[in-house]
Amino acid sequence: MFNANGGGTLKIGVLSTDRPLIWILPLVAMLVAFTIIPVIYNIWLSFHEYAPFKRQLVFVGWQNWQMLFADSRMWEALWTTMFYFIIVLSVELVLGMGLALLLDAEEFGFGLLRVVLTLTLVIPPAIVGMMYLLIQDPEFGVLTYVLDVLGILDKSVPILATSSTALWGVMLADIWQWTPFMFLIFLAGLRSLPAEPYEAAMLDGASTFMTFRRITLPLMSKVIAVAVLIRGIDIFRMFDYVFVMTSGGPGTSTYTLSLYSWQQTFSFIKWGYGATLSLFTLVIILVIANAFIAVTRVRW
Amino acid sequence: MVAQSRFSRTLRTVVGWAVVALFAFPLYYWLTIAFKDGSEIFNWPPHVWSFEPTLRNFEEVFGISFGYGFGEQREVLPGGGNWRMAPRLWDSIVVAVLSTALAIAISTLASYALSRMTFRGRHHFVAWILSTRMMPPVAVAIPVFFIYKEISLLDTFTGIILIHALMNLPLAVLLMKSFFDDIPVEIDESALIDGASRWLIFRRVVLPMVKGGMAATAVLCFIFSWTEFLFVLTLTQTGLKTVPVVSSTFVTSTGTAWGSMAALGAAAVVPAFVFILLVQKHLVRGLTLGSIKQ
Repeated sequence: MFNANGGGTLKIGVLSTDRPLIWILPLVAMLVAFTIIPVIYNIWLSFHEYAPFKRQLVFVGWQNWQMLFADSRMWEALWTTMFYFIIVLSVELVLGMGLALLLDAEEFGFGLLRVVLTLTLVIPPAIVGMMYLLIQDPEFGVLTYVLDVLGILDKSVPILATSSTALWGVMLADIWQWTPFMFLIFLAGLRSLPAEPYEAAMLDGASTFMTFRRITLPLMSKVIAVAVLIRGIDIFRMFDYVFVMTSGGPGTSTYTLSLYSWQQTFSFIKWGYGATLSLFTLVIILVIANAFIAVTRVRW
Repeated sequence: MVAQSRFSRTLRTVVGWAVVALFAFPLYYWLTIAFKDGSEIFNWPPHVWSFEPTLRNFEEVFGISFGYGFGEQREVLPGGGNWRMAPRLWDSIVVAVLSTALAIAISTLASYALSRMTFRGRHHFVAWILSTRMMPPVAVAIPVFFIYKEISLLDTFTGIILIHALMNLPLAVLLMKSFFDDIPVEIDESALIDGASRWLIFRRVVLPMVKGGMAATAVLCFIFSWTEFLFVLTLTQTGLKTVPVVSSTFVTSTGTAWGSMAALGAAAVVPAFVFILLVQKHLVRGLTLGSIKQ
C-alpha cells in the first residue's frame, strides 16, 4: 500500500512537512460536490414525494421506504438484477478464462486476434444494445435467422419481445462486449505466472487439468478477484442495454434496479420513490462490493 | 511449457481463429449495415457477404452528399426527422476532451500526494475514492438532476463535463497513483534534500516521468466519457446530446433508421478503436484501476 519509502525516520520527517491537503483539495471538492451532497439530497428526497396537484414536493415520512419493501415489482427487479448478475458474471468469467488459455500462445496471427478482441471494449454500450437489437430483430435479424435455421428457436418467437427469452437476449449483448475485458485481465495474469511450479508439476506427471486446478487458479486468485470485483460492480448497476433494447419489457421481465429507479423518477414522476429505489441499489452494491473486498483482501 | 505436438498446435490455431471470427462477426455485420441501402437491410434471409455497398447512410447522417456537393436531405426518414448528426459528434468531442482534461488535472495532483505524502486517514481516503467507483450512476443522476435544475446547469456543457470528470476520477486517481508508485521515491527525496520545493519536483522531475501513464489515463477517460449514456440521457434535453444517446433516438414508433444509426455508430467508434490501439501496453492496468500491472 505505502510505497517503499525506505523507512528512515529522517525521510518521513521531511515528507510530513508537506501540505497534502492543498494537493487533494480539488479532488475532495469534486467528491463532496458530486457524491456526498447528492447522497444527502437523495436521502432527503426519499422522505418526500412529488404531489402532482400541488406541483411540489411534500413530506411523506417513511412512506417511500415502506412502499419499497412492499413493492412486488421492486423485488422482481432485484431478482432480475441478481439473476442477470450471476449468469453474466459467471459466463464472462469462464469464457474469458477459456479465451485467455486458448490465446496465450504464439501461433499464427494470435497477436492480431488478441488486438481484435480489445475492440469491443470501446463501443458505447448503448450502441452495442442497438447492434443486438438489430441482430435479434424478428423480421430480418441475422441471429434470428441462424437460430431458425438451426432449429433452436423458431422465427415466430421474437427474442426480445418474449418474456422467457428477452433477458437472455440482453445478456448476450453484455457477454459479447465484456468477455474480452475478462480475457485481457486473465491473459496478463497468465503471463506473469512464475515458471517453476509448472516445471515441478511436469516432473510429477500432473495432468493439464490438475495443473490448471492446483497451480494456475490459486496463483491467479488475486487477478480473478480484481476482475470479478470491477466487472461485478458494472454488471450490477447495468442500465444501458435494458434501456435501449427492451425498456424493461415485455411486461416487467427485464427490469433491473437501475432501470426501475430511473423510470419511477423520470417516466412516472415519482421523484421520492425513485430516489428511494436508487439509494437502495446504492446500499446493496456498497455492501456486496465491500464484503467482497474484505473477503478476498483486494488492495489498492 | 514444453514442445506440444504438431496436431495440438494446429488445433489451437484453428480454434483460436474460429472463436475470434465468431466474436468479430457482429462488428462486421454492423459495418455492412452502415454501407447497405435501406431496402437491402430488410432482406430475409439477411444478406451477409454480398451486397451493393453505398455511402448513402453516411451522406444522410452527416448531411454531406458525396459527389453531389453539400446537399439537402433526399428523403424523409422513419420518424420524419432530420438525422444530420455532425453537430452531435462535435458535442461528444467537446464533452470528452474537456472532461478528460479536468479529470487529469485534478487526479494528477491528488495522486501525487497519495503516492508521496503520508497523512492521517490516507487509507480511508483511497477507500472513499474506490467506493465512488461503486456508486450506481442512477443514484447520482437522480439527485444531480434536481440540483442542476436549481443552479441552471441542466442541459449545459458545463454540467455534463463536470459529471463526466467525476465519473472518471476514481479511475484516473487510482491509475495515476499506480504510475507515480512506479517511480522510486528516492528521486523526490534527493531533490528535497537539495532544497527543491514539492511543486518544483512534481512539475520538473516526476511529471515528465509519468507522461506515458498520463496519456494512457487520458485515453481511458476519453473513452469512458465518449461511451457514457445515463448521465447524458438524464441531464440534457436539447442543448447537447452525445452520440450514444442520440443513437438510441433512432428507434421510433414508426420504425428504426438502421442504416443511419449504423453509419453514425461506425463513425463514432472508429476514433475510439484508434485510441485503444495506442494504449494496448497499459490497457490491463487501466481496466483494473491500476491494481494489476502488465
